[in-house]
Amino acid sequence: MFNSDNPTPEGVETLTFAQKVRLGSFLGLSVKNGLLNLVTLTLYRFWGRTEVRRRLWQAIYLNDEPFEYTGRGGELFRGFLYAMLLVGLPLLVVVAGAQFLGPKFAALIIFPIYLFLFVLFGFARFSAFRYLASRTLWRGVRFQLKGSRIRYGFSYLGYLLLSVITLGWFWPAAERRLAGPLWDGLRFGDRRFRFSLDAARKIPIYRAFIPAALVFGVLYFAVMGVIFAIRFAAQKAQPAAPDGAMIVLIYAMLLPLSVLGVLIFAPYQAARLRSVVAGISLEDARFRLEVKWWGMAMLELGNLLLLIISLGLLFPVVEARTARFLISRLKSTGTADLASAVQAPRGPGTGEGLADAFGAINL
Amino acid sequence: MDGAFFDGRTSRPHQVDVAISEGALLFEAGGTRHAWPLEGLRVEVLGDRVRLSCDAGADGRLTLSRADWRAVLGRHGRRVEARGRRREGRVVLSLAAVGLTMAAIVFVGLPAASGPLARHTPPDLERQIGDSFDAQLGLGMKTCSGGEGQAALARFGHQLQARTGTPFDIRVRAVRAPFANAMALPGGRILVTDKLIAFTRTPDELSAVIAHEVAHVERRHVMQAMWRSLGAGLLLDLVVGGGSGAGQQAVLLAGSASDLRYSRRAEAEADARGMELLQAEGLSSQGMAPFFRRVAAGDGEKAASPLRELVSSHPDSLRRAQVSAAHARPGAAAFDTQAWASIRAACPPARAPH
Ligand SMILES: [Zn+2]
Repeated sequence: MFNSDNPTPEGVETLTFAQKVRLGSFLGLSVKNGLLNLVTLTLYRFWGRTEVRRRLWQAIYLNDEPFEYTGRGGELFRGFLYAMLLVGLPLLVVVAGAQFLGPKFAALIIFPIYLFLFVLFGFARFSAFRYLASRTLWRGVRFQLKGSRIRYGFSYLGYLLLSVITLGWFWPAAERRLAGPLWDGLRFGDRRFRFSLDAARKIPIYRAFIPAALVFGVLYFAVMGVIFAIRFAAQKAQPAAPDGAMIVLIYAMLLPLSVLGVLIFAPYQAARLRSVVAGISLEDARFRLEVKWWGMAMLELGNLLLLIISLGLLFPVVEARTARFLISRLKSTGTADLASAVQAPRGPGTGEGLADAFGAINL
Repeated sequence: MDGAFFDGRTSRPHQVDVAISEGALLFEAGGTRHAWPLEGLRVEVLGDRVRLSCDAGADGRLTLSRADWRAVLGRHGRRVEARGRRREGRVVLSLAAVGLTMAAIVFVGLPAASGPLARHTPPDLERQIGDSFDAQLGLGMKTCSGGEGQAALARFGHQLQARTGTPFDIRVRAVRAPFANAMALPGGRILVTDKLIAFTRTPDELSAVIAHEVAHVERRHVMQAMWRSLGAGLLLDLVVGGGSGAGQQAVLLAGSASDLRYSRRAEAEADARGMELLQAEGLSSQGMAPFFRRVAAGDGEKAASPLRELVSSHPDSLRRAQVSAAHARPGAAAFDTQAWASIRAACPPARAPH
């Protein structure tokens, strides 16, 4: 079960990950969650998400000991209510009030709010990770995420603006940098994880990003061009052509476009994940994610298909597939003292309210 | 039996020998004796082992082989798991109750309350809201330049206003817009688009449409709809959050479908009241039916497909034409030849097609 009589210096181990995710179990859970969401006007989603995580966490093993998720549906629900009351409602009042005061004033106030929303998005993302860490247990010891959520929110906005200014050029670097605080602030009990940008940079991401962005850009404009050409021709031939056909056409083009997009960006996604994982360390243990672009493409295409066919119902299956894919490719070398971590404090009482409102949660 | 224990203070593993006595699991780890009552144990089944925890043990975790767990606890183990299921049943039931209450408020309570709410909205507030609406609409829909036609429209609005007893000053004006429509704003403003003026063939048709909008103002239908959609929007948003999932979208869609049902009722009411107002003024109310008949036939407009009718808030034109025809009475024309000509000319053709 574990090696308390390990010959290595006390408590020092290499890290071996394993997973026993059974997709069938998540298929049943998807159906159950879907039905209960229907009955409760989607209010059950917090409990449904919690059960998905509980099953997922306990199917992931580190050195033969499964993780445990200790979060509760009620915590997510309360977090959601707080977020609606403390952020959603005031925002609504301000926006409605601004419109009331006239269009010019509205424009003046909407722009800063827009910027503020991006800060909030980063804030929400960090909060969600902090909650997740605090509800993750291994060998009876909690994880914790330290760091400033506000600072993370502002770096999110900053990196986003930089990406906009550089026409997306900076975005891959931004994504990698934004992973930094989430891993550098992570602790198993009192044992500190580190994130090194230099180590992460050893795996190039722009080499995969540039061709993908170029190809996709050309493809995107080609498709848009075709749509406009057809629209123009249709309007000439029959001025009163129904809008319905146009909408069908646009969707018919978007599906292959998103499939191609997944394929084209798969090498970049794989490189990005490899790069981030390469930057993480725990004491002398370093990590490696053996993800190839083809595997990544198959994973994402499968997920896309499952979600489209099931109208999102099979999201738990998608999460399970993704976890299975990643954990079975996660390797570690070097050692860490995993036996003398001291318990972390309980962490925040509620979680993810904001992130739920933004739809910003994956896992 | 053998167990693996983590005490929840450090991640140090302990091999423990677990005994059962007086309804509790007894074991010793690192010099501390632990007694975990069977009653209240939480059980996680993990393949061939089980992980146990309990309130008394705080973050401590005890892992046993599943065979041991089964053998020792027998039926007791199953009861522990059943408790978790009962708890979930309670959660689902209370959530369903909350959901049902919300649905009842949105689909029944709010529509019922929107009438009284609208009636008790201070006219000054409604006027202010209307001004703000008008300012925003004005960005897209410019007022037409023809002064004489505008004056004729305004005069007619005031003529009907005298019959209504509404606290609002009814101000009808022609605007330029890429669609044929007439709309009543909160606070008494009524906008008639150039395309609608072009679509009407007789003074009777135009006066019928305007009378319909005046009835909306009198009955404060716009305020009612605002209360309804404000309340429904707030409540449904509160339920689904900003979420983008299919289920969440379905709930929002159901909300707007319900709103549509009530707006149809308001349309029928405005049709009837509009004709009443015309008849009280001794004016012809015969313009409504041919107007709706031509809308139904898609004359000049795109054909009304089934989809269009479903999403339109002025649906079922043919039925409305029949109802109007049944109640129509002859009378004087609302606009004399000169006024009619000036209204038709109120919006001179734009310099370039939009
Ligand atoms: Zn109407």
